[in-house]
Amino acid sequence: MAGVKLENVTMKYGNMVALNNVSFDCPEGEFFTLLGPSGAGKTTTLELIAGIKQPTEGQIYIGDQMVNHFTPEDRDVAMAFENYALYPQFTVYDNIAFPLRAPRRKKELTPIQEKERVLEITTLLGIETFLDRKPDQLSGGQKQRVSLARAMVRRPQAYLLDEPIAHLDAKLKISARSTLKQLAHQLGTTILYVTHNYREALGLSDRIMAISKGNVEQIGTPEQMYETPATDFVARLMGDPPINLVDVEIVSENDRIFLQAEGIFRFPVDKGLLSRMEEISWEEEGKRMVRIGVRPKNVRISMERSSDNAFELPVYVTVREAKSTVVTFELTHNFFLGLVDNDLRLKVGDKVWVEIDQNNLYFFKKSVELTK
Amino acid sequence: MSTVEVKHVWKIYGEDVVAVKDVNFLCENEEFVALLGPSGCGKSSTLRMLAGLEEVTKGEMLFDGKVVNDLSPRDRNIALAFESYALYPPLTVYDNIGFPLLAKGVDKRVIDQKVRGIAEDLELTEVLKRKPGKLSGGQQQRVSLARALVRDPSVLLLDEPLSHMDQRVRVVIRARIRRIHDELHTTTIYVTHDQEEAVALADKIIVMSMGLIQQVGTADDLLNLPANQFVAGFIGEPAMNFLEGKVEGPNQVSVHSGGTPVSWAVKESIPKSHENSPVVVGVRPENIKASKEPVASGVKTRVDVVEYLGEERSLTLSLNGTILKAMVPIDFLVKESESIWLTAAPEDVHIFDEKSGKALIKFKS
Repeated sequence: MAGVKLENVTMKYGNMVALNNVSFDCPEGEFFTLLGPSGAGKTTTLELIAGIKQPTEGQIYIGDQMVNHFTPEDRDVAMAFENYALYPQFTVYDNIAFPLRAPRRKKELTPIQEKERVLEITTLLGIETFLDRKPDQLSGGQKQRVSLARAMVRRPQAYLLDEPIAHLDAKLKISARSTLKQLAHQLGTTILYVTHNYREALGLSDRIMAISKGNVEQIGTPEQMYETPATDFVARLMGDPPINLVDVEIVSENDRIFLQAEGIFRFPVDKGLLSRMEEISWEEEGKRMVRIGVRPKNVRISMERSSDNAFELPVYVTVREAKSTVVTFELTHNFFLGLVDNDLRLKVGDKVWVEIDQNNLYFFKKSVELTK
Repeated sequence: MSTVEVKHVWKIYGEDVVAVKDVNFLCENEEFVALLGPSGCGKSSTLRMLAGLEEVTKGEMLFDGKVVNDLSPRDRNIALAFESYALYPPLTVYDNIGFPLLAKGVDKRVIDQKVRGIAEDLELTEVLKRKPGKLSGGQQQRVSLARALVRDPSVLLLDEPLSHMDQRVRVVIRARIRRIHDELHTTTIYVTHDQEEAVALADKIIVMSMGLIQQVGTADDLLNLPANQFVAGFIGEPAMNFLEGKVEGPNQVSVHSGGTPVSWAVKESIPKSHENSPVVVGVRPENIKASKEPVASGVKTRVDVVEYLGEERSLTLSLNGTILKAMVPIDFLVKESESIWLTAAPEDVHIFDEKSGKALIKFKS
């Protein structure tokens, strides 16, 4: 096994830039996740590492070797995709053993060793009792585990896993996630993992790279990505319900600093924040603007006016979750969310008092578009 | 505006394939009701009978107190949106949405206003001029939904209307559906296999499995007072943990824990008939109290996996081959292969009959 490194990798399709000067260093044995929406360049990155595509610029290393000119076979990585693509005429056993029997590996394993290898991975994934079945006798979740077993039966330099559990229903996904993490620990092999699901990224990874439109937004541990997002894009990726982003005006008055959204709210903030805010602020119609981020759990909602900084808003809609109810408000450019206890029943149009917890404010440069 | 009542309804396909078994429920006027269950549970058959697309084998369906069994779909004043879209391919999105109004002879200007309004709510404004063939699955599904909503029906029947949309869009459209329901004052019956969606939207949830109603209640009823082990395991994510136990006294169960069983208190009295009987003990992952030190009545488990999830940590634990889940606070720091001890507050412990799966305490029927 080996680490994987990208240096200044750019990938263009004609004029379309799929990856823009991407660099990262995933050391040997790390679980490294590429997180982003569809079209971000995640799958392209895996394809470049696997050798299915060639980068327009930049170097790709597996271990100490620059592999740009290696064939896919010589790179010795194993890739699993979202769609299962199992051979319908083969049994589960033969599907999983298939990569071990590829012509160039033929002499590596005896049939007994092959069987040991298949049993090891299938036992880890809990599918060891289905080995004699054909794929069409399996449920979707079982097929996905067979596909994962096939990708992970070899001992390659690194595993490249592209949304391997995306198709599973919610409950299976939760158990597949922990199984995969356990498997990763036991194998100890480098894993590059692609997902658009932030819970998978946080739960599984040693480190995460957030990527947007071919650009790296941030690389960090799950804790760093969630607690100190570098950009509004990363902040919005991490959390459900998502963080609120609001563009506000910075107002200085009588030696105090206020943040205000015209006609909606206005509250004072600590003066010490001014230099940080000004650094990332912008000018709009003569106003000094900054983007704030506040998670729904840090929005206080009450029937009575809780403080001078609370503002009144009509409820747009409420949506119930197991532990709390998400209340949506409509602002000028987007929606604003808060959480309330389930026993507080609110109806569409009810007016409530909303307050932003100023100790849990994020400040961002403006990069993502705000929409309803 | 309508009430919908289902009385002793059966659906039998062919000779003996029983899809719906003696189902009874009432949807109040303006209520949002979810029919929830895994595939094959009978929820879609029930909805299709309400829509008039399938015959009722036995029993009665009533809208506003009137039996509708023999009314054709068009005479029921319902609107439908299904998982598959059934759009008219030669018509634009605009015309597809406006079609039900055009067919009723509504004024063109009114149609225009309504179509544009609903298109904006469902994020379809930009594709109004396109043909269905040029849309993604999720977009086609929204057109189908828009066509149902544009009619101001008295009963709205929706069958997995969000299943093909990606997560972000689904969450947005979900909120819009609830808002439109509130604004139109319709009675809505919504079929889904997704418990999160049912909890998010519905005033009342009807849980079905194998053709039978398992429980009818609010989200709180189903989460806190499940009638049986099926409902307990189906509602809530991650799913409720189930442990082997035995009744020791009216408010006491023993829970298997590696070596000697430990004793847990429960809040309500377990029926006397179950004294000394084996039972299933249920605790939700978020109600587990985890300790890194041995505690009285603690079930000793091994930590297999720790996942950081931003607001909390998810632990995967093993106990004699049984896998358990616990959600713990971010500051609960523990490593893989360490041991931890689990307890639960008496009010959070559920008890189910080992054979029938029926709840013995803490349930609402």
